[in-house]
Amino acid sequence: MTTSIGFIFFIGAIGLGAIGIAGIVLSNHLFRLVLALAIAEAGANLLLILAGYRWDAVAPIVSDPAVVQTMVDPVPQAMVLTAIVIGVGVQALALTLVIRIRQRYGTLDMQEARQRMQDDLDAAAGITPSRSREQPAGGRPLPAPTAAVEAGGPHD
Amino acid sequence: MTDVTLAIALPLLGAFLLPVTARRGLQWLGALLGPTVLALSALVLFANASVYEAPYAIALGGFAPPLGITFYVDPLALLFALTVPLVTLLLWPGDDGDAGIRRQSLTLLLAAALTGLALSGDLFNLYVFYELAAVASYGLAAGSGSSPGFVAAFRYLLISALGSVFGLMGIALIYFQTGTLNLAHLATLSEQLANPQGLAAFAMLVIGFGVKAELFPVNGWVPEVYGAASKRVAALLAGLASKLAVLAIVRILLLVFPHEEARQLLLVLGILGVITGELAAYQARDITRMLGWSSVGQLGVVFIAFSLPGKAGLIAGVTVAMHHLVVKSALFLLADRWGGAIARLKGAASSSRLGAAMFVLFSLSLLGLPPLPGFWSKFLVLGGLADAGSTLQLAAMAIILAGTVLEGAYLMRVITTLYKSPDARAMPQRQHPGNLFASTVFAAVLLAAAAMVNPLWQGLNSMADSGVDTKGYIETVLKTAGWRP
Repeated sequence: MTTSIGFIFFIGAIGLGAIGIAGIVLSNHLFRLVLALAIAEAGANLLLILAGYRWDAVAPIVSDPAVVQTMVDPVPQAMVLTAIVIGVGVQALALTLVIRIRQRYGTLDMQEARQRMQDDLDAAAGITPSRSREQPAGGRPLPAPTAAVEAGGPHD
Repeated sequence: MTDVTLAIALPLLGAFLLPVTARRGLQWLGALLGPTVLALSALVLFANASVYEAPYAIALGGFAPPLGITFYVDPLALLFALTVPLVTLLLWPGDDGDAGIRRQSLTLLLAAALTGLALSGDLFNLYVFYELAAVASYGLAAGSGSSPGFVAAFRYLLISALGSVFGLMGIALIYFQTGTLNLAHLATLSEQLANPQGLAAFAMLVIGFGVKAELFPVNGWVPEVYGAASKRVAALLAGLASKLAVLAIVRILLLVFPHEEARQLLLVLGILGVITGELAAYQARDITRMLGWSSVGQLGVVFIAFSLPGKAGLIAGVTVAMHHLVVKSALFLLADRWGGAIARLKGAASSSRLGAAMFVLFSLSLLGLPPLPGFWSKFLVLGGLADAGSTLQLAAMAIILAGTVLEGAYLMRVITTLYKSPDARAMPQRQHPGNLFASTVFAAVLLAAAAMVNPLWQGLNSMADSGVDTKGYIETVLKTAGWRP
């Protein structure tokens, strides 16, 4: 029975990791990206905890040296504590950056923020943007607009 | 012998003291603090030069290995650790008010973490130092306060944090199979990791540590961050931080995964890095992003070099890495003088002859013109690949050579633009006349290395001897006595 519980936890840890990674790859909203990161970190932490966990053991606290009991491995627990602290710090930093991006660019959309960043970098370097939404690169496959359309005639 | 942990503790202390001195109105103390601390930590490392005869290990906090965390000091670690305070000192950010203090504090934090990355002998401790370095570099990337800087830093943070998740999972996988994270102890158990799970763990660790090392699949942040951040920060990240991340991967490879498959993985990732980096650099139209992408390509060569087995691989890898450290940092600093689009550099050589001459020198060394150190580094890599001679390695040779041709094309394009007759309309809008000092030092180092090839070769040889000596590492670390009450 205990093995099946362990198995469920393993699936859970790997599942959390997979959901988080999929979230980072697929989402486009800055805040969702941060949330996906938090989920992925939770998965990694759970995996690390499971690495040293025993179902028939007590918490690794020695209150009476005379009593010897089976304990879970304390090393992964200490490591996960460190990893959680690092993770919280990084997520807080990520959120401050999200706030800054929102203040500067007025958007929480990753694609749009990236596009504006590229434009700003190009402008700072003194390059005319290689492509933009208004002027896509390459030739135009469509025929030039006819005189009637340009005059404002009906075209639908 | 001076305690080598001071080399980490001093910059860390300085990093947290700096903001305090600024707030108390002790600006003069703050201005002195950073350079002093870095110079002291360089001296501490110099004082440990005796490791050339006998590497040694320290049990931190008195807890004996394999349970406690160990620091291992051998010539390889010392060489990389020593570059940290020296290069940081050269790239020390200027003091311009509050933002300057913050940048200096973060730079010290980065220096401390990178030194730790060179010395640590424990997998989880490596992860912690790596994260510390990563957080400091997010701050530096966003520190310019420009809008693109925030987006670039956010993307960098996201990629790096995702890498850390992978790294943590790799650590968990290794702990599952072996029950230890001490590198020396893991080295004794490396047969247990010679299986698909072990290889998966290695791949995850490589992805994790590879973000800073600009490894192929996780280097999308490179051009944006270098483009948006100040060029000193770009030089610090591309030159220094990437090398220490590479060292962490190399230590793990040498000690824990001395298997053929692990080397092949690095080789393939390195080849892909060379291809993508050089092609993207060829496409780039402004000098910063061109240098950023070309640094991705060169780190691909570093990974290819370290994937060679044994001593030859270590020597080749260290040579390429050190050469790249000097040259790419200097090129970024020179690019800061001009900045911006390549097309606007027309005639820049006439306004700063020395700068342009040094740009030519570094470019030629990067390409591998014979008397310069770049030639020897490429020669060692190509020679090693030819000796090993599997199909993949011969393909890697061809790709490095093709990459060099591309490098030549885009670097020469910049150089010819520099020496064209000046065009008043096309002149770059900003010029920094005063900051040639650091690049001149780098140029002097490069020329000195070219003149002293023989002694350097001897030094590298003995360094590689102890670097590949896994048995020596295990014995030294596991015999280190902890503190006994």
